[in-house]
Amino acid sequence: MYNLLAQTDGNGLAKRLAEAFPPPTIDWPSILPIALVVCTGIVALIVEMLRPRQNNNAIIGFSLVGLFFAGLSLTSQFASPDLESFGGMVLRDRFSLTIQLLVVMVTGLTILFSDGYLRAKRIPFGEFYPLVLWSASGAMMMASSKNLLMIFLGIEVLSISLYVLAGMSKTETKSEESALKYFLLGAFASAFLLYGIAFMYGATGSLHLDAIRSAWNPNDEAFRNMMLFGMGLMLFGLAFKAAFVPFHQWTPDVYQGAPTNVTAFMAAGSKIGAMAALWRLLSASTTNVDLGATFQSYWMPALFWIAILTMTVGNLVALVQKDVKRTLGYSSIAHAGYILVGILAHVNNPEKVGIGTTVFYLLSYSLMTIGAFAVVSLTAKNGKEGTRFEDLHGLWKRSPFAVGCLIVFVASLIGIPPTSGFFGKLMIFNDALASDLMPLAIVLAVNSVLSVYYYVGIAKAAFVDAEGARTPESAPMNLGLAATCLLCAGGIFAVVILFNPLMNWLVGAP
Amino acid sequence: MVTPALAILSLFTLGLLAPFLFALLPRHAGKLLCLPPAFWCGWFWSKTPASGQTWTSPWIPELGITFSFRLDGLASLFAILITGIGAMVLLYTEGYCGAKPGSGRLYGLLLLFLASMLGVVLADDAILLFLFWEATSVTSFLLIGFEHERANARRGAVQALMVTGGGGLALLAGLLVIVQQTGQGRISAWGPLAGDPLYLAMFALVAIGCFTKSAQFPFHFWLPNAMTAPTPVSAYLHSATMVKAGVYLLARLSGSLGGTEVWTWTLTLVGGATMLTGTLLALRQTDLKRLLAYSTVAALGTMVFVLARGGAEAASAFAAFVLAHALYKGALFLVAGAIDHTADSRDAFRLGGLWQRAPVLATASTLAGLGMMGVAPLAFLAKETLVDGLLSPPDVPSLIVFGVMAAGAVAIAGIVAFRPFFGKADPAIADGHKPDAPLLTGPAVLAVLGIVGGLTPTFVFERIGGPVAAAIGGGTDPHPWALWHGFGAPLAFSVGTLALGLAVYRAWPAWIARAAPWPSFGFDRAYDAGLRGTVSVARAFTRTIQNGRLRAYLQTTIATFLVLVTLAAVRWNPSPQIRLDTALPHEALLALAMLLAVLAAVRSVSRLAAVVTLGVVGFGVALTYALFGAPDLAMTQIAVETLTVILFVLTFYHLPRFARGSGTRTRAVDALLATGVGATMAAITLVASQRLLGTPISAHFAENSLAEAHGRNVVNVILVDYRGLDTLGEITVLSIAGLGVVALWTFGRRAAKGGSA
Repeated sequence: MYNLLAQTDGNGLAKRLAEAFPPPTIDWPSILPIALVVCTGIVALIVEMLRPRQNNNAIIGFSLVGLFFAGLSLTSQFASPDLESFGGMVLRDRFSLTIQLLVVMVTGLTILFSDGYLRAKRIPFGEFYPLVLWSASGAMMMASSKNLLMIFLGIEVLSISLYVLAGMSKTETKSEESALKYFLLGAFASAFLLYGIAFMYGATGSLHLDAIRSAWNPNDEAFRNMMLFGMGLMLFGLAFKAAFVPFHQWTPDVYQGAPTNVTAFMAAGSKIGAMAALWRLLSASTTNVDLGATFQSYWMPALFWIAILTMTVGNLVALVQKDVKRTLGYSSIAHAGYILVGILAHVNNPEKVGIGTTVFYLLSYSLMTIGAFAVVSLTAKNGKEGTRFEDLHGLWKRSPFAVGCLIVFVASLIGIPPTSGFFGKLMIFNDALASDLMPLAIVLAVNSVLSVYYYVGIAKAAFVDAEGARTPESAPMNLGLAATCLLCAGGIFAVVILFNPLMNWLVGAP
Repeated sequence: MVTPALAILSLFTLGLLAPFLFALLPRHAGKLLCLPPAFWCGWFWSKTPASGQTWTSPWIPELGITFSFRLDGLASLFAILITGIGAMVLLYTEGYCGAKPGSGRLYGLLLLFLASMLGVVLADDAILLFLFWEATSVTSFLLIGFEHERANARRGAVQALMVTGGGGLALLAGLLVIVQQTGQGRISAWGPLAGDPLYLAMFALVAIGCFTKSAQFPFHFWLPNAMTAPTPVSAYLHSATMVKAGVYLLARLSGSLGGTEVWTWTLTLVGGATMLTGTLLALRQTDLKRLLAYSTVAALGTMVFVLARGGAEAASAFAAFVLAHALYKGALFLVAGAIDHTADSRDAFRLGGLWQRAPVLATASTLAGLGMMGVAPLAFLAKETLVDGLLSPPDVPSLIVFGVMAAGAVAIAGIVAFRPFFGKADPAIADGHKPDAPLLTGPAVLAVLGIVGGLTPTFVFERIGGPVAAAIGGGTDPHPWALWHGFGAPLAFSVGTLALGLAVYRAWPAWIARAAPWPSFGFDRAYDAGLRGTVSVARAFTRTIQNGRLRAYLQTTIATFLVLVTLAAVRWNPSPQIRLDTALPHEALLALAMLLAVLAAVRSVSRLAAVVTLGVVGFGVALTYALFGAPDLAMTQIAVETLTVILFVLTFYHLPRFARGSGTRTRAVDALLATGVGATMAAITLVASQRLLGTPISAHFAENSLAEAHGRNVVNVILVDYRGLDTLGEITVLSIAGLGVVALWTFGRRAAKGGSA
């Protein structure tokens, strides 16, 4: 560069520089939502230092406003054209915008019911809010890039905050245990993912998913092997984050041990991010048959079986759980399996099956999961929390509104019409049939029956009268929690009633 | 044709409002609530169309779901039954529950069910039909478990939901396959599907859905267990309407799926098996409601059996039987409930002599019982029409099966309809209270309709039989219903079965008194065993792989990884080329030293020794770098290695004493896994090294570093010039991390001081 400068006079410098280093296109609006969320986190942290000790309202207010503007900036870009900027590091398309919007929504819903719960648990740390916001920004990054390193960075940003959040209840061993387990296994999975990315880079010389797709060549054996190992290792890492069987074992332990509001965010936000990254990776890893064997013909069978295992094990093991959070943890594993079926259907037949199913299912799943965890968070009081089934006993008497909402969530988790859960399953089912994945559709149906048993158990527990209850009376309803329940339960029906306009708005006209 | 939607919507709303109405007027809720269904019954009766009428409005075009309703002969028959019997049952509920608190919920659920069931028979869109179908399953679940403080009510409810809900999903799958293949969500627009490549899948899935809902063999077991519901519910859902949904759908789809050998054989065999099972099992019961439940199973089998035959005549016979059965069986269920109310017992073996106490009830029961025996006009007509069909040409096996079922029905009718009133009473039966008017109206009206309907065959045929034949039989029935078919084979058959049935009835009390308890087998037990098996599999699963131990989790993960890689290697044979011949002696020596150090680290019993030997490995790696011309990398590695050892030693200070917690076996497994991972990673790296990308950039740096950057140390130039920005970033990160460490350090010391003070 000295050389470059030395040889040029003032006029030609800019031109020569531009030739030597072509400036990347910079499209600020496409990173504005993520930037807003990150900055909101920073602001929240500063507010945390300045606020009066007993009150988190200011932080919550700032966080929600920041999220609102992030959402606004996302929706305002719905009409903008697809675009890659920052040297191919940031991608704006419908999928990224929609997924980011979902993450923003999930974060908002979590924050809304968190304060009452954290107070009841005596862990009202203001740091919760910035951490959860940064974690959300990681999930948003995962959706908005086709660059493998950006996706990896997103995962790490998402996860590292979550490791801390999981251990937030410092007085409880199970919370600390869950944080440590999550961290160790998460780091393990990240290493796999990173190694896989390195392999991909080694094979193709690029970190961009499109370049990887076009580089596929099944006839060059050494090259094919490297790509396969790379793909395998990356899937390994992502399967960990998405909690597919047999990489799921951390899920129930961590979900049970972490504070309930963190679990809610983990189950929804983290899953959205992982699924979005998986969707990107898989849809970029499909090739045409012109070259001979397609890329997907190698990894599809493995994922096919993983989907079957995930659905079945998730539901089966949930049958014998005695803890509501653990049960919901297994249920989230099962739902991850359902979503995987939807993604595989898209990959198998991208012309017929678009992004609509995955987006709708993630939306509906987030609503019902956050709602369910929000109701479960009512069992915390005076720094104690019992989340076994019998701790829900008598909830019907104490907060009928919450139990009413819980029934909606449970019905939707089972997939009883006319809830969104039913339509989500219906769409996945339909897609699986449309893309010749009939066995997966059948396994999904069988599993839905299996799941009835334990979901009904959750609702039933809330109705049984409390006799000599072990736990103290549960926390009183607070405004934030009521709002979360109302939004989630209302949303479950609203997305069905407004299905058409909603999907047109979210994913564009079919 | 907006009216079907209006009917469903209004009744649904009424269901939501019913609890409030009950709270206001607990003594008259039934009388008031039965009026709207009664009105709609009249409306459907008056509107039976000759050909179907359709109403459509879009809903979710992406999934091809529309709000489509269709009213034709078949829909009309069921709509009349649903609303008419619904009205009677609502009225009856008033007498059955009185002003008992919580009955508002019962009224509400009954009405919600009524609306959903109406939706099933009126919907023309496949998915819409399924939505209503599931709604009937859910309301049925809630109604069976209405008295949820009883354990067997809860069990019956969950069982019914699992069986019908599971079948419902099969049905959904079947409907979706049809929708995908035809590209058409409207049921009325489906042509014959027999030629479709996926016909078998469609038929099997739809049939499973229908068979589970209609309690066909081998799914019949849930229906008797559902008798834990309050009697109005049993009468309505589990006899007159909901269980007929499966039969209805089979009839509805007989035009599309019917007419094939698979259809005929499956329906004949399943229907026949159900008839025999239901009849034989019914005779083993002494509880009035369970007797009726099993006989309902047999009747549902008959309906499926008739549908197997296809054609206008079978359709018309089907209509006659559905109508007759709904009337007499509904009446008998209501009578059973009234007996329970009057005598506080439902034991058919011990009850008797009730006619003095309840003469009106006895009359209604007699009339309905005559219907079930096939003697009362409408039922007689239905039976004659059925037998007519079986006789031309004579179908001997079917006649035998039907004969057994008919004779069984006669005997069961005797047991449930006559014995409690006219038999000898067991003195232990308590004196109860007299049934009041709302309790009597329902059975009386239904029983009388069964007589009147049969006396005006032409009129009823015009409203019911003809339109049904037109809707599903594909034409008009050449033989309109007639009460009197003349002296002939059908009459002889009727008389024969009647005589046989009466003989069984006479023998029954003696036989049931002596009969040994039923050996424990059957599908009910299979369901239990299945449930238990699932749970124990789940338990075993939890114990083995979800034990909470981090090491076990890592083991599973690593093992999965190894299995996958091995599978891939076997399948694609990547064959890494290991060329040992190029290795020089000192390289081999180095590798050996590192290997030995690893082994020593693993085997070491002291932490310090382990770390030191591990350090040997690290320095070996550094030496390798140096040997292959990367001295800078070697230096870095040495620095890092030294730092790691120091950090390790620092950490040891805080750790408890070293102890071996694991046995030989676990250590062996660990060794296996560790070796496996090591070998795999080595193999993968070897595979990777076979591919070289592009040309190394080092030559470019070596050439240009002096010319462009005026530096003689190439590494330095790369670090501070070519990749200056990267280095800056790294330095920043390092500084921040350092600051963090300092902060933590001071904070920790301050906290420790505070703690001690």
